[in-house]
Amino acid sequence: MTRSGSQIVMEALVRHGVDTIFGYPGGVVLPLYDEMLHWPTVRHVLVRHEQCAAHMADGYARATGKVGVCLATSGPGATNLVTGIATAMMDSIPMVAITGQVATAVIGKDAFQETDIQGITIPITKHNYLVTDVADLPWVLEEAFFLANTGRKGPVLVDIPKDVFIAETSADASQASPRRGYRLPGPPSEEQVREAARLIAEAERPVIISGAGVLHGEAWEELAELARRADIPVANSLLGLGTFPRDDELSLGMLGMHGEAAATMAVQNADLVLGIGIRFDDRLTGKTSGFAPKAKIVHFDIDPAEVGKTVTPVSFVIGDVKQSLAALLPLVQPKRHDAWRAQVREWQRRYPLVVPEDGRLLARHVIRALNEHTQGQAIVSTDVGQHQMWAAQFYRFREPRQWLSSGGLGTMGYGMPAAVGAKFARPDREVWAIVGDGGFQMTLQELQTIRDHDVDVKICLINNGYLGMVRQWQELFYDNRYSHVAMGNPNYAKLADAYGIAFVQCTNRDQVDETLERARSIRGPVLAEFVVEMEENVYPMVGPGASNDAVIMDPDLESGSPLEARR
Amino acid sequence: MRDRQIKEHTIIALLQNEAGTLNRLVSLFRRRGFSLASLNAGDCEQPGYSRCTMVVTADDRELRQILQQLDKLIDVVEVEDLPRARSIQRELALIRVDVASGQRSEVLEIVGVLGGKVVHLTQRSITVEFTDEPHKIEQLIHMLEPYGIGEIVRTGLVAMKADTPSAAN
Ligand SMILES: Cc1ncc(C[n+]2csc(CCOP(=O)(O)OP(=O)(O)O)c2C)c(N)n1
Ligand SMILES: [Mg+2]
Repeated sequence: MTRSGSQIVMEALVRHGVDTIFGYPGGVVLPLYDEMLHWPTVRHVLVRHEQCAAHMADGYARATGKVGVCLATSGPGATNLVTGIATAMMDSIPMVAITGQVATAVIGKDAFQETDIQGITIPITKHNYLVTDVADLPWVLEEAFFLANTGRKGPVLVDIPKDVFIAETSADASQASPRRGYRLPGPPSEEQVREAARLIAEAERPVIISGAGVLHGEAWEELAELARRADIPVANSLLGLGTFPRDDELSLGMLGMHGEAAATMAVQNADLVLGIGIRFDDRLTGKTSGFAPKAKIVHFDIDPAEVGKTVTPVSFVIGDVKQSLAALLPLVQPKRHDAWRAQVREWQRRYPLVVPEDGRLLARHVIRALNEHTQGQAIVSTDVGQHQMWAAQFYRFREPRQWLSSGGLGTMGYGMPAAVGAKFARPDREVWAIVGDGGFQMTLQELQTIRDHDVDVKICLINNGYLGMVRQWQELFYDNRYSHVAMGNPNYAKLADAYGIAFVQCTNRDQVDETLERARSIRGPVLAEFVVEMEENVYPMVGPGASNDAVIMDPDLESGSPLEARR
Repeated sequence: MRDRQIKEHTIIALLQNEAGTLNRLVSLFRRRGFSLASLNAGDCEQPGYSRCTMVVTADDRELRQILQQLDKLIDVVEVEDLPRARSIQRELALIRVDVASGQRSEVLEIVGVLGGKVVHLTQRSITVEFTDEPHKIEQLIHMLEPYGIGEIVRTGLVAMKADTPSAAN
């Protein structure tokens, strides 16, 4: 029996349990869109810009751990995906992107809507393919899903020329030649695990930094067991939020440029840092030479190329973090670090996150209240900027897969489409997109996608009239010279109305609770605009290129600088 | 102990042939700022695969990164840093010497002593083919320079791990 390329694509989707794909049609994918009509179990969500198809697939993947799938036509359709693919690559998100290509006969001849999307996406995919023979399509798709969601996860792009969608073949996935160049990580080395256990037993001031690798490896239970058994406080990288419950007494919250002071001070004073599923990114470490200066660093990661890339650990355990931690746990004796824990608590008490109550409406009020109203249980996505950092600080994530944010690429406009993808994946969960007025304006056309499918996402728009994070840097590091950061905003009430979406607005401090209550009580999508103080700053802050010792505390915090406390 | 000294290293890799394989490899060097002095790839004993020799300059930390980032590429099957002592290294050079007629015999003598082969002759020039380790090529070029070099083409290095006497595989 022969099948067409289009049938093979649809079959592959079904076989991999894909219930929803996000896409946009065009000339060369017409055969696939025609075939799609016969596959009712695969829901196609028509976006309004392909970038958002990738972000929705990404949100779907982050909220579930399943592969997200997006689809675009050749040329501009494919290039529009690029930002979304790069976003997924930086954060190791499992994604399969399918693009149409001009017919094989005209590839290389600058045909209408031809672009070399394979060449363009080489640096931003885990792997990619141009399928010129339909007989290769079954194994390529099989491999694409496999690569995307195994090992260190990431986006895989499959570029399919128009005639390959139409051509028929009897080939199946067994035609693949073996993949000798892709090995899944083996069990962790016993010696490395024993060494890690020895360092843990010796440590007096240990800290864990838990990152997105714990999510991807589904190792949160092992992580919690390790932290509790050996009495080790847990800080999170931005993307590691949710891998350890924020309300646990061992939780330190986020570490990094806008990390909580106590987390930063714990790491700067620790004698052992266990980096688990993190890549010691520069926004986490600050200047690497000043990072955790008193600590031995042990790095747990699935990707050997991450070990020693930015900081030099004394020891490392390479492998699937779940397996590594499972191997480690039996070697870890129960232990208490009472003095260290008391010291950390003291830092937390002296350097809390500050939320002034001076009558102004602050973004912090909104996000803190959102956490309370939703009891820390919503799925929360963000754009990039100040609101993102406040969300990371004030939303107290309880579980994995609740937090969707572009950490590595820092993609403005990610928040709302990612929330849509998450809601499709987990309709049972309350989903909030916390977006900036800058970021929201980059992808707000998806309000219509929300309307079309009546996607019940709540959008918490933090309107400060500025590209706030850039403004903050200009204030602090460019002597208040504001250059092109003030921004007009549309009338959001009318905008929401135009899209047929419910709207609530809050302009002063006293209305925060009632606004959130109203938004939550409305069934279906809501745009909730919070017109906040324009020049609020995110603290604590480690300046760009500075050491984590040089953390700038919130001027509203009276107790002085943490450097003092370290002595 | 970490060696921070920047040195030249020879890396060989076994590649699974696919559209875009070499592109991917070179793109990695470019985007991560690794220096690639030469790259050679061609068919090998396994159908569907190529062997590739790269010469890079890096300190130890960077060399480790290069090897690991290369190894992560799906179509790179194996990758290895070859120490000079345990490898066979060869490069081929074509050298055209635009030599005055009175000095032809001197040139032929140098080429003969160093083991080069004359592959083309005209009244104005002698073209030599020479295959050896790169430093020997440098030496020949150095010796020929006084006679007037017209053009040099070099292939870049190819290298192979030396078989050990007791090798079982
Ligand atoms: C696509 C994109 N362009 C530019 C930037 C640089 N950038 C980082 S934060 C920021 C300001 C974001 O403004 P807004 O969305 O209003 O959020 P706020 O910081 O005000 O909360 C900018 C421009 C970016 N991260 N992404
Ligand atoms: Mg703003």
